Amino acid sequence: MAYLSEYQYYDNAGAAPSNANWGSYQYVSLTDIVNNFMLMYSGNHSLVNNEERYKVLFHTKRGIQELNYDAFKEVKALELKVFDNLVFTLPSDYVNWVRVSLYKDGYLRPLTENIQVNSAASYLQSATGTLSFNTDGTVQTTSSTLDTERVSGAQRSIYLNKNNGDNNSAVINADNPDGWRDYNIGARYGLNTETANFNPTFRINKKAGVINFDSTMANEQCVLEYISDGMESGNDSLVSVNKMFEEYLYAYVKYEILNNKFGVQEYIINRARKDKSSLLRNAKIRISDIHPGRLLMSLRGQNKWLK
Amino acid sequence: MTSFFFAYLCVKEVPMINSVRNTILAILNKNNYGYISPSDFNLFAKQAQLDIFDDYFYQYNQLINKENARLSGTGYADVAKGYEEVIDMFSVTKTLTQNLLNQYFLPSQNTTSDDYYLINRVLCFTGGLYQGEAEKVSNSKITLLNTSNLTAPSLIYPAYSLQGSFITIFPAQFNGATDIQAQYIRYPKAPNWTYINVANGEPAFNQSSADFQDFELSPDDETSLVFKILQYAGMSIREIQAAQFGAEQEVMEEQKEN
Repeated sequence: MAYLSEYQYYDNAGAAPSNANWGSYQYVSLTDIVNNFMLMYSGNHSLVNNEERYKVLFHTKRGIQELNYDAFKEVKALELKVFDNLVFTLPSDYVNWVRVSLYKDGYLRPLTENIQVNSAASYLQSATGTLSFNTDGTVQTTSSTLDTERVSGAQRSIYLNKNNGDNNSAVINADNPDGWRDYNIGARYGLNTETANFNPTFRINKKAGVINFDSTMANEQCVLEYISDGMESGNDSLVSVNKMFEEYLYAYVKYEILNNKFGVQEYIINRARKDKSSLLRNAKIRISDIHPGRLLMSLRGQNKWLK
Repeated sequence: MTSFFFAYLCVKEVPMINSVRNTILAILNKNNYGYISPSDFNLFAKQAQLDIFDDYFYQYNQLINKENARLSGTGYADVAKGYEEVIDMFSVTKTLTQNLLNQYFLPSQNTTSDDYYLINRVLCFTGGLYQGEAEKVSNSKITLLNTSNLTAPSLIYPAYSLQGSFITIFPAQFNGATDIQAQYIRYPKAPNWTYINVANGEPAFNQSSADFQDFELSPDDETSLVFKILQYAGMSIREIQAAQFGAEQEVMEEQKEN
């Protein structure tokens, strides 16, 4: 792709949206990578020869996917309101989550993943426990009590949030003189820190593609930070990779092709593997964003007295 | 520049086909019985030209292997470059005729007015806008390719498979009458030594005839053409020595080049 003029960069040459090219110089497109590889690393006088372009395309995309999983620091964020059904549908390009937060009263509160299951399938059972089946042989299902009570707010939580049973049901009387101990007040010796969080909890049902919350999250704003695989929903023209990783991708594709080709000498494969590994290391260091200014900010607290 | 152009015209004024025929007749014409008719000569010339044309590709491949073994040089020693140039003389780019939706006919006398030796590139357009170069995918792989998320053909990376006399382009959005162009190597046109009959029945070369066609090969292949035609002609008139001479000379020529 040709370089952009400043008019194209800042104003998209008058076309809408005007910000389409902002920051684009950081990236190199999938088309460029495949073209450059076919031109520079493949041919009669190269190690890679007589390989179909679709193989190069495949390995390039796989390389970009792998980089998106851990090396890139490109976290996407999506804010949606959680309604009464307490479900947040995962984005179409979701691969894994980074953080789920509640946005309330101007604060972003990171949520804790519930260590207990909060949603389950359930089969329709008769009074004697027998199951019913559909005509196609599948078992008849129904909503589980776990789900129903979670949505209705009847489910109790082991976390220290509003659903915590101890907050509401503890009674101090002659039968239960130590009932005050159940309140979240004062020093709680033996507190389970794993569940010591006031915010709503969630659990991700990967197969169902949803995040299930407890009832305290109803009608609240949820922000999901997640990572994608960079495939841009199959639109090849939008797939790109940071320039820091360009050389690594060429090395990666070369290695993958040579490694899967019959009859390539082991020393050539080893050379390609080392090449790829070292370039990945370099690229990760380059993109790690270790700036002296940030270190300085952290180090300024080194003489702070601990109370 | 003018003098060069004039010189070029002069060279083109002397068709290679007449020179080759005269040489053949001179070699064969022992005791006035080694004559071959113009129609026979044209048949042999066509065969010889196809042989040499086909050999370009094998020679080119050998030279690439030599280059990889560091047995070939650059500059004037870059013989492969010469072969590339000769092959490129037969390179044409033409729009393929649409058969049905995303199916297009391969180049042929009926559709592009020339037969193809090999398809080098298939270029895809939509609405006159270049999108990408289609890659040939074997019929055993094309279904798998189409169903793969990562490698399914797209506007940027189209693919095609070849069946019979047509190609099918993927994705199917390429379905316009002028959406597909091919750059291919065509076969050389069949040479045709044309003549007019003079009074005693002796044919005289007539370059002005409408169906005249000179050899399309490079001038330095004239020797090879003579040797090859000599073999066919020698067999035709049962003059085994002529055929052997042609074969031996050809072998010597090849040894010299290698």
